[in-house]
Amino acid sequence: MKRGGLQGYIIKRLIYAALIAFGVVTITFILLRLGPTSPADKYLANMSARTQDPAQVVAAVEARYGLDKPLYQQYGNYLINLARGDWGWSFSTSMPVIKLIQTHWVYSFQLILLSMLFAASLGLLIGVCSAIKQYTRIDYLATFFSFIGISIPNFWLGIMLILVFSVQLGWFKTYYDTGLPMFSLANLKALILPVITLGTGMMAGYTRYARSATLDNMGKDFVRTARAKGLPERVVIGKHVFRNAILPIITIIMFSLSGIVFGGAYLTEIIFGIPGLGRISFNAIFASDYPVVVTITLIGTLVVLLTNLATDIVYTWLDPRIRYD
Amino acid sequence: MMRQTSRKVGGKRNLIFIGTLLVLGLIVLLDIYLVDRILEPMGYFYLFFVAVAVLYGVYPLHANRRLTRYYWERTKRHRLSVLGLAFIILLVAVALIGPLLTQDPTRVNFDEKNVPPVGFTIQQSVYDLDTDKFLVREIPGTYQHPLGTDDKGRDLLAMLVSGARVSLQVGLLATLIAILIGTIMGVVSAYFGGWVDQVLMRFTDIMMTFPFFILLVFIIFIFGPSLVFIILVIGLTGWTGAARLVRSEALSLRTREFVMASRSLGASDARIVFRHLIPNVLSSVIVIATLSIPGVILAEAALSFIGLGDPTVTSWGMILNAGQRSLDTAWWVAVEPGILLFLTVLAFNFLGDGIRDAFDPRSQL
Repeated sequence: MKRGGLQGYIIKRLIYAALIAFGVVTITFILLRLGPTSPADKYLANMSARTQDPAQVVAAVEARYGLDKPLYQQYGNYLINLARGDWGWSFSTSMPVIKLIQTHWVYSFQLILLSMLFAASLGLLIGVCSAIKQYTRIDYLATFFSFIGISIPNFWLGIMLILVFSVQLGWFKTYYDTGLPMFSLANLKALILPVITLGTGMMAGYTRYARSATLDNMGKDFVRTARAKGLPERVVIGKHVFRNAILPIITIIMFSLSGIVFGGAYLTEIIFGIPGLGRISFNAIFASDYPVVVTITLIGTLVVLLTNLATDIVYTWLDPRIRYD
Repeated sequence: MMRQTSRKVGGKRNLIFIGTLLVLGLIVLLDIYLVDRILEPMGYFYLFFVAVAVLYGVYPLHANRRLTRYYWERTKRHRLSVLGLAFIILLVAVALIGPLLTQDPTRVNFDEKNVPPVGFTIQQSVYDLDTDKFLVREIPGTYQHPLGTDDKGRDLLAMLVSGARVSLQVGLLATLIAILIGTIMGVVSAYFGGWVDQVLMRFTDIMMTFPFFILLVFIIFIFGPSLVFIILVIGLTGWTGAARLVRSEALSLRTREFVMASRSLGASDARIVFRHLIPNVLSSVIVIATLSIPGVILAEAALSFIGLGDPTVTSWGMILNAGQRSLDTAWWVAVEPGILLFLTVLAFNFLGDGIRDAFDPRSQL
């Protein structure tokens, strides 16, 4: 395959991702305008306490945010503001939304990163072991526990962990302590329960995929050849099977962001009081703090989009067999 | 002979289905514009669900008894999936009959707050009016509230039964809507190809990019929560996986000989889609439907857990929310709905796995 083909492929993926991002932003706009209450009403809920006449407030808000303009102009302004990073003003916290996001994203990031590391490493280990020892007691046990892990509602698991380890045994605090420095053992300890809460479901999913991907490759001809030429089992599994199995697993891990990871992180943050983006959005919902909810929804979606794009591109670099036309 | 009957059914079935849809649509219009309230909104969902279940579930199973027995034999070999099915049937029975037998799940009684389940005893400090002091009293579980009460004295058994009804309603009805949209999208996309396929699949890609739960939260935030609306939204956003799967299945079917033969005999597009493509993707659709019910049930529970559920009905997520707030005084409020939720999800996962293996002719059972 020529270099140009790869570059062309990457450019095509970039353009495609940009189109999808445009679609996402547009659908969000349409949903906002379809809502039964106009954005001005949501602002009103926060502002009417300070003035007398609601009609005046609505008019002022509409003029201030351009809501009195025709729809296509509103749409244009919305796109321009998004691109410029002008994501609105958060009423409940009295700061620009972008500033709010800047202070809080790192809490979500550390939770998600640690959970993915935990889930991916354990999931891969258990899955591969389970496949190597297929139809043994280890395999059945692993399959059984992965079933339980997939089925257990993660927010309930979080509550049960708090009940047992924080309320009954008193090993951990029931609430995440935000005062701790980011890179400290105490912070790591505070994140143990949240990481288990978020990571268990992911781990169970990865275990299943790792098992089936490994089994798929165990039956391949090149593995039989490797065994036939007398390679030790360690090399056959480690080099021939695992290397081929890892690619689809990486994709699964990356694609799980949009489903189980972000939804799970949202709930985990709420349960443990971690002030990440999920918790911020949750607070904003009950304060009718409209720009915050919109921005966090968009950020979540765009992060998914970028990871999918990155996965696609990393794939081309990891797997030289793939052809791009 | 058997083949003949099932063929006749296949043709009439779609007509009956479309007819039912039209009648339902007419009633909706009447309901909105002329008479007020012929049916509760939930009533339409039920009629719709029953129509689909009878026409595409019960009738074909009845008409092809030999095939039904074959699939049942294969599903039965998964002992866990039979167990799952038994649990689901039990849960459906409880959800249907239970509310008639239990107390009112919304009745508040502060004299009986935080009563533990039968067999447990807790210590509670109670304010005594006579001595003007707080007394520590032992409170045993009573048979009047076999599963205990919450911090407002509501009977947990009644609340859990009501929650079972909500979970099943959302799980079954939302999945049905999602699967219908997904099937139609997938089949149309695969059959017509070209720009239709491009547009539909790009739209699917966009919808798939939204993190499912965050999109749900966003939409409920904008439009406000009600059970009917939650069902609709989950149905209208959760179809992407089914659409992708059905499209890939239909793409391979489209080039098969029997479809070619049908087209060369002059069959119309509609006939090929309804008589050949849809019946042949139905088995994968049933599998993906069963396997997506747990996710839907969990999504609804999570929504009501964070307070975005329908505030007028008691659901498991709502009880869990109350339970988290009283973890140190009444642990059972958080434990009980979670166990039920977990078992329900597990049951649907087991059943789905069993059906998938039964329908897969390659799997050796």
